[in-house]
Formats: sequence, C-alpha cells, structure tokens
Amino acid sequence: MEGMEQWRNEAKQWLQQGIEYAHQIPPTQLYAAAAVLLLTTLFFLIIRLFKRTKSSTIVLTGLTGSGKTVLFYQLRDGSSHQGTVTSMEPNEGTFILHSESSKKGKIKPVHLVDVPGHSRLRPKLDEFLPQAAGIVFVVDALEFLPNLRGVSEYLYDILTKASVVKRKVPVLICCNKADKVTAHSKEFIRKQLEKEIDKLRVSRSGISEADVANEFTLGIPGEAFSFSHCSNKVTIAESSGLTGEISQVEQFIREHVRP
Amino acid sequence: MLEQLLIFTRGGLILWTCKELGNALKGSPIDTLIRSCLLEERSGAASYNYDAPGAAYTLKWTFHNELGLVFVAVYQRILHLLYVDELLAMVKREFSEIYDPKRMNYNDFDETFRQLRKEAEARAEELKKSKQLDRPVSDRKKQGQVKKGGFEGGNKKKSEANDGGDGDTGKSYKLENGHSNGNHVNIEGSRAVVANGKENASSNVGAFDVSKLQKLKSKGGKKTNAVVSKGSKVDVDPKKKVTKKNRVWDDSPQDSKLDFTDPVENGNENIEVVATDHGESMMDKEEIISSDSEAEDEEVGKESKPDTKKKGWFSSMFQSIAGKANLEKSDLEPALKALKDRLMTKNVAEEIAEKLCESVAASLEGKKLASFTRISSTVQAAMEEALVRILTPRRSIDILRDVHAAKEQRKPYVVVFVGVNGVGKSTNLAKVAYWLLQHKISVMMAACDTFRSGAVEQLRTHARRLQIPIFEKGYEKDPAIVAKEAIQEATRNGSDVVLVDTAGRMQDNEPLMRALSKLIYLNNPDLVLFVGEALVGNDAVDQLSKFNQKLADLSTSPSPRLIDGILLTKFDTIDDKVGAALSMVYISGAPVMFVGCGQSYTDLKKLNVKSIVKTLLK
Repeated sequence: MEGMEQWRNEAKQWLQQGIEYAHQIPPTQLYAAAAVLLLTTLFFLIIRLFKRTKSSTIVLTGLTGSGKTVLFYQLRDGSSHQGTVTSMEPNEGTFILHSESSKKGKIKPVHLVDVPGHSRLRPKLDEFLPQAAGIVFVVDALEFLPNLRGVSEYLYDILTKASVVKRKVPVLICCNKADKVTAHSKEFIRKQLEKEIDKLRVSRSGISEADVANEFTLGIPGEAFSFSHCSNKVTIAESSGLTGEISQVEQFIREHVRP
Repeated sequence: MLEQLLIFTRGGLILWTCKELGNALKGSPIDTLIRSCLLEERSGAASYNYDAPGAAYTLKWTFHNELGLVFVAVYQRILHLLYVDELLAMVKREFSEIYDPKRMNYNDFDETFRQLRKEAEARAEELKKSKQLDRPVSDRKKQGQVKKGGFEGGNKKKSEANDGGDGDTGKSYKLENGHSNGNHVNIEGSRAVVANGKENASSNVGAFDVSKLQKLKSKGGKKTNAVVSKGSKVDVDPKKKVTKKNRVWDDSPQDSKLDFTDPVENGNENIEVVATDHGESMMDKEEIISSDSEAEDEEVGKESKPDTKKKGWFSSMFQSIAGKANLEKSDLEPALKALKDRLMTKNVAEEIAEKLCESVAASLEGKKLASFTRISSTVQAAMEEALVRILTPRRSIDILRDVHAAKEQRKPYVVVFVGVNGVGKSTNLAKVAYWLLQHKISVMMAACDTFRSGAVEQLRTHARRLQIPIFEKGYEKDPAIVAKEAIQEATRNGSDVVLVDTAGRMQDNEPLMRALSKLIYLNNPDLVLFVGEALVGNDAVDQLSKFNQKLADLSTSPSPRLIDGILLTKFDTIDDKVGAALSMVYISGAPVMFVGCGQSYTDLKKLNVKSIVKTLLK
C-alpha cells in the first residue's frame, strides 16, 4: 500500500513538472507544432484516398497454355521474342503499352500482371485480384472444346469471387490464337461458355450455402445464364498473340486505366 | 550430342536457345518437365526422362535462384553424356554475368556457348581416354589404386558439378589439362574422399522413381521388374489355375465351404426401417478456421526459436540485419534438417520429407537473403509454398459436376474403392452414398467384396438404412463379373452413381492385385478411389506406389487406369500428425477428395489445404 502511495505521489510530481514545462514554451510554438501535425495527417489521408480510387492493375489470367505470357510481352515490347514455356511465376511490370510509346504527351503507365494458369499455382491469383482494375481472361480459341469444362470452371470461380463482384471489376474474355484457321469464333465461344456456366450454376447451387470457394451465385435463377446478367461488365474480344493483333485488348486496357 | 539447351526465366520467357543445334524437339519436353517435375516439387531429382512418339529424351536442369533463371539441357536417352552437368554449370556461370533483366536478346552468347561446349566435350573425351589408359595398367596391384582413383575422381567431378560448380572445379580441370593423365588421376584418387556414392545412388534412385512414375503414366506400360525402390519384393507367382483358390492363412486344412450366404431373406423384410437422416454431411459445412492463425504464424517466425544456441542466435541476428550475400547449401542445411525432422514427427514418410527438402534447397540455393529475415524463416516460407502447391489439386475435384456430366450421357458414374485391409472402405462408401443422397443423386451399391465374411451383409445393412438399391451376388464369385453386372443393372434402373466395394488386399500380393487390375480394366470406372488411413506411416509410400505400379503393369490395355483420387480415413484419430496426407499426395499425384473423420454417416469432409499446411509446419 505504501508503495502505491509513493507511486501516486511521484506520478503527480511528474505531471506537475510536465505542465510547468509546457507553460514555459511560448504559445506560438505549440500552435505551430500542432498545426504541422494536423496538416501531415490530413495529407496522408488524402493521398490514401486518391490511391484507393485509382488502382491501375490489369490482371492477365486464363488456363495454362492459352497464351498469357505471349500477350504480356506483346503488350510490353511488341514482340514475343523467342517464345515461351509454361510459367512458374507471375510476370509483373509497370510500363507504357508498346503501341502507345510513339504517342506524345503524358501517358500513365499500366501495371500489368500475368498470373500462371497452371492449376497448382491458382492461389497466386488471389494475391493480385484485390488490386485489379480489370481482368483479361485469355481463352485458347484453338483447343477450346477439349478444355471447355476447365475454362468455364475457372471463369465461374473468378466471376463469383467476392473481390470481383463487390468492386464490379470488368472482365474481358479474350479469344486468343484467332489467327489460326481452325480457331473458333468469339460468338461460338460466348454461347458455349454461357451454356456451361449455366450448368455449373445448377450443380454448384446445391452446395453454394456452404461451399467456401464460391461466395456468390451468378445470374438470375430460373433464366438461362447470359453474361449480361453479371453485375460487372463482361465483354468478349478476339486477339492473336503471335502475330501481334492485340488492338482490342489494348482498347480494353485504356478504357479502364485512366490516362 | 546435345539435342538442345534452353535458358528461360521462371516467368516463362525463353531467353536463349542454341541455334547450332537446330533440331526441333519432338513433343513438348520442356512443358512436360515443368508440369510434371518442377511444379511437383521434384526439382531435387538429377534428371527427367521424357518419352514422345519417335523420341526418348533425358532432360537435366539447373536453377539460378537469385536471377530467377532456369537452364535446361535435352539429349537422347541412349547417349549417356557425362559432360552435361558441368556444361550446365559453366553456362550458368557465364550467362549470369551477361544477364540483364531488360535485355531480351542474347545473340552474342552463341560464341561463348560454342566454346564452352567444345571445352566440355574435350574434357569428356580426355576422361574417356584416361579410363582406357588405366585398363591395361590395372593388372599390377600398385596401379590398381590408380584405376579406382580414376573412377572415384570421375565420380567426384560429377558430384562437384552437381553442387553447382564454382571456381574450384575450374581449377581442378585446368590441373588436369596441364599434367599427364596417369599422374593427375593418382592425385585425384588420393583426394577423392567422401565417395559421394551415397549422393549419386540416391539421386539415381530419385531419377529412377520419377522415370518410373512417368513410365506409368505414358502409353505402353512395359513390365519393369527391376524395381529400385526400397523394400520391394517381386512375387512372380505363375498361377496357371483359372479358378480362385481359397486363401489359406495357417496350416490347418480348410475343407468346408466358406459361403454362408443366407438363401432365405424372409427374416429381414419384416423389419420396417426408416431411412436414416442424420442431418447435413460435414462435406457441406464450412470449415471454421481460426482467424488468428495468420498473425500467429508471422509472429512465431520472427521471434527467436528456443532451440537455437546463444552463439548461433547472435550471428544469425547479425546476418539477418545485414542481409547475407548468397545462400549456400551449407547455410540451408541446418534449417532444412530441422524442418525435415519436424515433418517426420508429423508422420510424413521419411523418403518424402527428404525429397521435399532437396527440392526446396534447389529452389533457394544462390538466392539473396532479404534484410531483416532469418534463414529459417526464408526456408519456412519456401517450404510452406511448396506444400500448398503439392496439396492443391491438379484438376478439379468437383464430383457432383462429373456426376451431372455422366448423367447427361445416360451412363452411371462408377466409383471403385480400393485399398489394403482394414482401412475403412465399406464404412466410407456408406458415408459417400449418404452425401450423394443429400444432393438428390440416386446411388446404387455393388458388393464386390466376395471374400470377407460379413462384407455383403454389412453393405446390405447400410443399403437398408439409406434405402438405396444394392447389387450383390453373395460370396465366392468373381468380383469383376459382379461389378459388370451391377453397372448393367444401374443403367437399366437409372441410377446415377454406382459405388463398388472391393476386398482389401496387400500391395505385394500378386494374384489379388491381378484380380483388381482385371476388375478395373473390365469395367473402366470413372473414378478409382484409393482408401488410405491417416494412421499409416512410411508404408503409405509403398502402398500407393505398388498399387499404381501393379495397376499399370498388369493391365492389358495400352493406357492403364491409375489411382485418380485418395480418400483419407480415420482422420479423427490423429491429433496433429497429418503427414500421411502429404506422403500420399506426393507419391501418387492424386488429390485427396474426401476425408473420413468418424464412424457415422455425416463424418465426411473435404481437405482444407491451408489448415493441413499450418499443422504440418507448427
């Protein structure tokens, strides 16, 4: 008990000393210090606000072998150099698109991420989705039908993720390898994907209350699924990574990353 | 002659290929290497064999972890080129000097590569000549040492190159060129200390294992009786008899018939049994993961561990703040050993833990330590990533979707449960049936365990409680035929799924494995589910590899069916020794589709990868 008393007395003494010291400082200095502190905190808050509204990351994703890495290098350098192999790690870069490097004026660089499509590396996508301003989902238009189930499952998973639905991230379905003769058209691909996702909806809705993977359901129950039912904008385009026909992809990127 | 040598980044861009060796590679060996080996955490193996129609290649690789580059050499398997490892090491050294992340074109490397290749080939020639010179000399006992020294020297060189040669190997080679062959070999022989024969042998075993796994998966399964894996006994028991003989466990003669099937079923029909409804199966319940797990992990990583000594703690703290230059294998050794021991205490098979550690070491060697991180936390992070990668399924395990797809084609979806004795096949079969019933799928059971007394009755009881049809033919019948008829019956009465129960059998019992293979070949099921218990230890590796091997060898079709999925049972009996899941997934490549955690109908759940990894590394 005595110890406590002593403690309390000492604390009181310190407090009094502190107050005396504070009184000694001329008031202008105190006000100046307080003002500077206030201004810096306001400054930081404003910066953070700005940063949050303007995220300029575009995520390139899709099944393995669909041509994401080729597209990445086309967008960046205008050529795919000596070819690619299956990616083991994501390719990231912040740059001005190659086709726009000749334009004059201030162009905002784009932060592009190419996430590997191999199923063992799927968890990597979740690292980049929260900062995505747009998703380019690359589909192999040549080997489309054999991979139809895999493609539609992956697309379904992406369209039902919380970070995509809540922030209404726009998705561009890019039918790659369109330069080949036997590649399917984008209308055909769109119809097939819509049919498959419709079936997936039915089979997944049975477990959707407890399925940890799919947090939202797609579309309007009772009606056949169509991409127009999604709350975020889903468009479809064609491209060819090897020959460099990527104008539609670049358009999409420019639309969603304010220059 | 080398077929091709590639340099590419981990992100997938090819930086340089040799233009002189312009042969186009048949098939896609590089992509297959990445998918089946490097991403499967087998990068500690020495080489990889690839078979394509018209070519058989061997691939060797090395990493430069700091710059994120991969160097791969491809050559024909029939040529046993010895200089490939050294060549890869030299190429790695030279290329990392001229590498620049912004540069995409490395045409000037052609010259350098040409010189390096000439050097390596010349050295290989000299080594061959030196071996030939030794042979006539070896008669004399004194010179016998020289020959042994020569071979050991050769071994040592190879193992040194395996370690990712530095300046040392360069020096030793220059020495060789200077002196005469005989002299030098003697010097080498006396220096050849640690016959890294063990390392070579283990790497050979690793290579063989991987190559065996590849052979299993490729078309044309040949009978490989030369099994290198440990503890295997090949029972070649030529059974000429067609009829199934009774199994005799002890010496007492068995003459009475074993079939006790009740010919009359009247007694059972009178009992009215209400269909069991035990509520929602745990498959559909969300897994409640503790939310503070993530923060815990990081904190534990940063705090000092109690088992490091005071001396080591200070130096490691200093290193962590300064950020050491490059990680060497010797630095990684203690951390990896500690991790391996921890994994083994969690019931991971010893062989698997070893291979995993090698793979993680291969991916971390030469990497720069970031400041304010300790070696052990870097190793732990790499190991965690590797574990998540292994346990994440390679393909979709959505069974309901597969069932719907089969329904559209008006075929029943057939699942066969296989495994050794006593792991819980019949119990878990009933649980899976219950779960499917909850999702409004009609199920039919097929009692193809015609050996064990009471197996058919057991399934009959389950079928009665769940009110689903069961197809049975009693005991002492051929299981393959019973299964075939069950599937035909299911097609007729419109069942969506057929669950086939088989008898338990040990993995090295040749006649029983042959019978199983016949069942699978005859009926071509949609899913072959291997049922394994979580209590199993090192035997898991043996069980799965033998099952896969026997299914491949004894099948008469060109593309044999292997194990497609794993059902892990008795998960509630192990507290945190969850390593069996990892061993099984690593050795077979099949995903864990269900986990049985109790003996009632609702005790079936999905594997939660994150929680398993957390438990393994705790």
